[in-house]
Amino acid sequence: MFALSELENDALIEIFNIGVGQAASSMSAIVNEAVHMSVPSVSFINRAEAARLLDGKSAEPAGAICGVSQHYEGAFSTEAILMFPEDKSLEIVRLMVGEAVSQKELTEMEQEAMCEIGNIILNSCVGTLANIFQRELQGSLPQYHVGTSDEILIASGSLADTVVLMLHIDFLLEKHQIHGYVAFVLDISALHDLKEQINLYIARAMGQA
Amino acid sequence: MTPTKTVLIVDDSRVSRLMARQYIGALHADWIVEEAATGEEALVKARAVGPDLVLMDVNMPGMGGIAAAEQLRQELPAIPISLLTANVQAATRERATLLGIGFMEKPITEARIAQLLSTLEAA
Repeated sequence: MFALSELENDALIEIFNIGVGQAASSMSAIVNEAVHMSVPSVSFINRAEAARLLDGKSAEPAGAICGVSQHYEGAFSTEAILMFPEDKSLEIVRLMVGEAVSQKELTEMEQEAMCEIGNIILNSCVGTLANIFQRELQGSLPQYHVGTSDEILIASGSLADTVVLMLHIDFLLEKHQIHGYVAFVLDISALHDLKEQINLYIARAMGQA
Repeated sequence: MTPTKTVLIVDDSRVSRLMARQYIGALHADWIVEEAATGEEALVKARAVGPDLVLMDVNMPGMGGIAAAEQLRQELPAIPISLLTANVQAATRERATLLGIGFMEKPITEARIAQLLSTLEAA
């Protein structure tokens, strides 16, 4: 069974906290308002449980979700996913592009714009992690999905019974009451790589590397 | 008054090209803005129009922004290039430095575009 020591778990949360802070800053620059992000929470669960957990966090559990995912390879592999309620996506895109674009154009480019928003936020977080680990992570192009949490996790490549580490972070755009979340899914092999990176980080922090 | 300049925006995201174009237009209504959606297209456009500045995304389908910038550097070394990317990794910044090109992180904002254009305004 894979496990993290208390120190490793603490370092993992701290590292993702820094990444999330950077993502919040990027998100805030996109929508031009304050963005509140939660402390990352870590769970070892399978895909079905992960979907239930994400659905439980949604203000409207029955509503469709739009997700943007990117796969990263390098120091460790992960599937990073940004999720919003689908009915809020046009509002988010409008916040990004301002009033200069017509509603027709905006609707036409909604998916593409959401991909770009996902690209900026996920890269902001993952890029910060790569910098902390002093390693490079190569990202795929962003993919857009619409569906339930389970469908988005399937589309992002998660297998039903595989136990994964899910790190998830809630965020809130206060003025517009838009709630979303970012999740990172890692399989067991990726977890071992991540653990190695965390231990290198701890050793550097303690002046041992 | 600054003479008219041509800026080439290279980004696979239509919305990013639109935003960059909008901010450039707001700052310099008379400047010409050209667009390319891939690194390959950027090379063709740059050879044809000889832009005064190239703003280059990194993560694009095809050859990607770093490879395109590298080739542009060899073919048209006088043209200033700046990466304009969501990839904030130190490795990407280091590549930009090695290539002798600029680096600006996304999201695209008016302030960031103004900063990128300021080098041309001084020229």
